[in-house]
Amino acid sequence: MPKNGNVERRTILKAAGASAAALGLATTTGCGGDSGAGDGNVTLRYAWWGGEPRTIAIKKSIALFEKKYPKIKIKPEFTDYAAFWEKFQTQASGGNPPDVFQNAVGFLRKYDKRGVLLDLKAQADAGNLDLENFRNGVLANGQVDGKQLGIPVGANTMALVIDLKAFEKAGVEAKFGWTWDEYFAALQKIQDKLKIAGDTGYFGIMYLYDLYLRQNGKAFFTDTDLGFTEDDLTQWWEDGYKRVKSGLVADPKKIEQVQPKSGLSAGLAASEFTWDNFSIRYEGEGESDYGLAPIPTTDGKDTGQYLGSLMMSAFSGTKHPKEVAQFISFMVHDPEVGKIMGYDRGILATTEQFDAFKPTDPNNKGVAAYEDEVAKAGVLGKITPHPSGADVVESAFLRIGGEIAQGKTKPADGAKALFSEAKAAFAG
Amino acid sequence: MTLVKEAPARPAQKRSAAPAAGRRGRRRENLAGYLFMSPWIAGFLLLTAGPMIASLYYAFTSYNLFTPPKWVGLDNFTTMFQDPRWQKSVEVTLKYVVVATPLKLLLALGVALLLAQNRRGQALYRAAFYMPSLIGASVSVGFVWRALFSDDAVVDRTQKVFGLDVGGWIGNPDYVLYSLVALSIWQFGAPMVIFLAGLKQVPQELYEAAEMDGAGPLRRFWNITLPMISPVLFFNVLLESIHAFQVFGSAYVVSDTRCGPADATLVYTCYLYQKGFKESQMGFASAMAWTLVIAVALVTAVLFWSQKKWVHYEEAAK
Repeated sequence: MPKNGNVERRTILKAAGASAAALGLATTTGCGGDSGAGDGNVTLRYAWWGGEPRTIAIKKSIALFEKKYPKIKIKPEFTDYAAFWEKFQTQASGGNPPDVFQNAVGFLRKYDKRGVLLDLKAQADAGNLDLENFRNGVLANGQVDGKQLGIPVGANTMALVIDLKAFEKAGVEAKFGWTWDEYFAALQKIQDKLKIAGDTGYFGIMYLYDLYLRQNGKAFFTDTDLGFTEDDLTQWWEDGYKRVKSGLVADPKKIEQVQPKSGLSAGLAASEFTWDNFSIRYEGEGESDYGLAPIPTTDGKDTGQYLGSLMMSAFSGTKHPKEVAQFISFMVHDPEVGKIMGYDRGILATTEQFDAFKPTDPNNKGVAAYEDEVAKAGVLGKITPHPSGADVVESAFLRIGGEIAQGKTKPADGAKALFSEAKAAFAG
Repeated sequence: MTLVKEAPARPAQKRSAAPAAGRRGRRRENLAGYLFMSPWIAGFLLLTAGPMIASLYYAFTSYNLFTPPKWVGLDNFTTMFQDPRWQKSVEVTLKYVVVATPLKLLLALGVALLLAQNRRGQALYRAAFYMPSLIGASVSVGFVWRALFSDDAVVDRTQKVFGLDVGGWIGNPDYVLYSLVALSIWQFGAPMVIFLAGLKQVPQELYEAAEMDGAGPLRRFWNITLPMISPVLFFNVLLESIHAFQVFGSAYVVSDTRCGPADATLVYTCYLYQKGFKESQMGFASAMAWTLVIAVALVTAVLFWSQKKWVHYEEAAK
């Protein structure tokens, strides 16, 4: 028994030690995230989404920045698009989002409403951030209710990416000002001659439907709501479903199979509506040659297009707003950064960077030429507002569009579901 | 007299002293036990019990993570029951549980019966069959599954050899759920090991006696093996059903984070995740979570109730 007692005492001590160790561990990890302002050095967290080429380019740009501002260190965080916003939301609700992060118009109001975004105007007024020299008025993309919540890094517009070989073989030509009827006639010709679908599934793309609505004097969103009716959408989806059935639009089952590859680069269809800078990706994925074609119109003139952009935003609670502003200013204006980034995030937004980067490969050249043409055609309008909850509505639009294409939901029921989901999203 | 006086006193003293010492010892032992457990207890209170209580509260609120939760009473539950996507997720989950669980257990039992016999290299076979369960939870297996069941991939081509041209399973809302079922069945290792342990416990004399009475293999299985392993079977049915209700990872990865196409793999937890982390409706998600807890508790209760009818515990154990 006395022996036993000894063992007990020892075990008690050990157990206590283990708990203390666990607590100690917790406290040490607790102070890990300090940005160490004591010696004048500042560490900023910078988060973005995107593929590997973007990550390599951004890291190079960061190295340049750190050389120029030796007292500011940038800690990078990156993931793919879907994971980015899930992670960001969790971090932001815990009061610990990155100091600087990539942003897009669909999220501006949502996170402004939640008090996460820093109004960068004050920093611009203080001379830490340069708001000059933005091209084609894209700076407005980052403005909400008079606040500057995002600084555009690039600009892009919706386009029709086409399989050049397929279009040539079918003898179809895409031209500025062509109408939707002409577009669908072209798809028919492609189907007749080449026995493949013409389009990958246009009716599930929210940004394209937005253009169509704009051509008809409406828009997808108003400041707080949807800018169209259930009947409008039912019509749009009914037409889409008919074209899937007739084979004009690719079989959604096949499109689903090749994900994350696009139906266009997988050779399932001859064209796809998407953002113009995405076309660069198809060249790497697919076997054909790809080019950019104009958006079809309703009246032979107005495409409804506008310049969208990726931006850099900052956390309202950052301890280092000055350094954050300096970093953003450097990333959007420095010519060297422009040369490194190229058109990965759209055509460079500031004149300094735009002039510094002269594309040499046909893809980047093609994107530049396309935007040039669109700008010259004078069709560029102002960006549509995106209320808080726009991101949720966009994924619902894509999902329900897919259900309709698969024949699992009737267009009218789908439209009804979208309206009810949008209502919940706007309220959230 | 002194001897007589002392004699009864000693045992009496001993009797009262011994339990006291024992109690003290036990208390010490308990204290040591609790101290050892304290990191776990702290973890449980902070990371499990706390969040559970919080989520019970959130289930009755509207909460977007940023603005303080707003009390809405039973609103989340009433919206939930009327939500067509929620109904769809219940339907998909039930289908998955009902199809995947029995098939998985059947395979596990079948393989366990084969592996229970003493043959050369048996340990190797057991390890090989258990392997998929070890790596089963990983995301990479989800990706492999996606590759296997895609259009023009291995499964599709094999089907075509047999004249079944349905295209890949992944993009087809009518088939994609069965690719998840296949993935679940493939991971039959854990219940198999438990079955094996159960089979080893069946006394050989019973088989010998039955054989002498002229019972064939099928009869021996039906009348001896099955009743004797019924407690193990019960345990496996219980555990696997609960697991099946909570399926998430495979659905999330195989359908490329969208639980589709056309919501075909929208299992309950997948919808819960979408509501909470994509649409920031934490109140709704919490209500969904608690509904799942209650549903699983009910299923468990029904299983426990039913065991009286088919689970045999050895009388001798009493």
